[in-house]
Amino acid sequence: MMATLSRALRSPRLIIALGMVFCIAFCAIFAGWIAPHDPGEQNLLSILTPPAWADGGDPNFPLGTDSLGRCVLSRLIYGARTAMLVALFASLGAMIIGTILAHISGYFGGAVDWVIGRLVDVWMSFPPVILSLILMVGLGVGLDRVILAIVLVDWTRFCRVLRSEVLIVRRHDYVAAARLLGFTHWQTITREVLPATLPLLITLVSLEMAIAVVVEAILSFVGLGVGADQPAWGQMIADARQYVYQSPSNLLLPIFAIFLTVTAFNLLGDGLRRTLDVRLAVTGR
Amino acid sequence: MIAVVLKLIVHRLLAAVPILLVVSALLFCVLRLLPVDPAAMSLPPNATIVEIEAKRRDMGLDRPLPQQYLIWLRGALHGDFGRSIALRREAGSLVAATLPATIQLAVAAMVIAAALGVGGGLLLFHLRDTLFETIADLTSIALLSIPEFLWGLILLFVFGVVLDLLPFTGAVAPGLPQPQITGFLLLDSLLAGRFDVFVSACRHLILPAAALGLAFSPAIMRVLRSSLFDVYHEDYIAQARLRGLSESRILLRHALKNAALPTLTLAGVQFGILFSGTLLVEVIYSYPGMGNLMVDAVRNVDLPLIQAIGLTYCVVVLLINTAVDSLYVVLNPKLRVQ
Repeated sequence: MMATLSRALRSPRLIIALGMVFCIAFCAIFAGWIAPHDPGEQNLLSILTPPAWADGGDPNFPLGTDSLGRCVLSRLIYGARTAMLVALFASLGAMIIGTILAHISGYFGGAVDWVIGRLVDVWMSFPPVILSLILMVGLGVGLDRVILAIVLVDWTRFCRVLRSEVLIVRRHDYVAAARLLGFTHWQTITREVLPATLPLLITLVSLEMAIAVVVEAILSFVGLGVGADQPAWGQMIADARQYVYQSPSNLLLPIFAIFLTVTAFNLLGDGLRRTLDVRLAVTGR
Repeated sequence: MIAVVLKLIVHRLLAAVPILLVVSALLFCVLRLLPVDPAAMSLPPNATIVEIEAKRRDMGLDRPLPQQYLIWLRGALHGDFGRSIALRREAGSLVAATLPATIQLAVAAMVIAAALGVGGGLLLFHLRDTLFETIADLTSIALLSIPEFLWGLILLFVFGVVLDLLPFTGAVAPGLPQPQITGFLLLDSLLAGRFDVFVSACRHLILPAAALGLAFSPAIMRVLRSSLFDVYHEDYIAQARLRGLSESRILLRHALKNAALPTLTLAGVQFGILFSGTLLVEVIYSYPGMGNLMVDAVRNVDLPLIQAIGLTYCVVVLLINTAVDSLYVVLNPKLRVQ
């Protein structure tokens, strides 16, 4: 444990990734204090103003305003809150469902394994974008609906990958030993199998967060996301796409925000994979 | 060998049938749970309740759900997917009209992704153990972080708006005719002898295809690099080196061939995902394919159309996966043993 921790602290990409995630999370949590304006506040007298340093910029709106005169900086900061909420809860939800089914499937095998395996097959034969769009038609817009849709689409990622890991862990002698000691199946899974799959699980969660941020942006871009009253990066992009000639920075800023967040989570996942996986930690590749 | 491959294809297609049945049933149930009434939606707003009831009976909406599904399934098997409520046309013919454009885009994107992926993978491997390795490695992770959705917007911005080099709306310049022979615009324009239409269609295809290709190339790049690393541990590489072959010959003639197999598997899986990725790129570039039709259908809650398009995406992805599996058997002699 300590060895893993010290290895983690020596990995520069993990430190950078954690720093980036921390900054974005800070914006998300303290949005109310950092943002100069209310994200929904419209100033119809100053619409599509450029950033403060450009010609015609207004120091009141550091990064300019959008087509309804709303402060772009404030919307970016509140957008981070939306993105982080979705990333956190959607990946946790998908993790819980996927992990439970993967452990049941891999541990017990047989008919249970077959049924869960076929369920994953059917689910995965739906392209994720198509499935999430169809689910959003059924669920309607809203932050909780977006989270639910992502959970319902992405639990298969966890299930499929973790199941094969459980299959490997289950064959270890210490698992058999636990059973011989009189552990129930539940105890064996939670105390012996789950801790062994945990490193992979943590890595998958951080990669899933990156996916959730993108999916939320996509759904908001198409207009089936968190709803019009909640600022989201995807919405900002859809709005700026129409005024791209008048105000190019409005398009670039949310794109950059999404890129930064997704990179942070991917880098975190990659760094965690390298530090937590003993085999990879030795060779460094 | 052909017999083995054919057997595999038949086997895979048979295995796909139950999956498709379940998928279509799921699709049907999810969409029927909606609090919308397709009967009321397909009538003018001033229709009376009696008229709506008659329409409901006519559409079979008063029957139990499994029966409704069977009615729909029977129609679908005969190529009848119902009528689009918003566009008032056969859903099947709407899909057939837009599918070629989407296939064209996906194939162009796959070619770009493969070219960039193989080139980049070789470059990444070539840079191993140099100062650039970490930089190249981090760059490829950063590139992996850009989904097709963002590539689409970035390319649109840089090449469409700032540099004004390429068009970024539609499939062809407005005013030009679109010959309809096979449905594939690039092919049709050549068949019709309209070279100007062909050039315009190509120019319109570049940005959307490049956006998709760029999004899917880093994965290919990284798998190729890591399988090259694996291959380089093999004895035959050491042996080739002892024979005095040049490094580039070892890489291109000996290592690449053997590293190609895992890369191809991934590329195949990627092609399935890439196909559904066309949806967003089509929306961003207003490209008249199935993805745009889908988003419109979703916005209008046009149930028959959503069902038809959703099922089409699933069928195409299943077909792609079957094709990739068969190709894999053709290329990997170890799998040909029965």
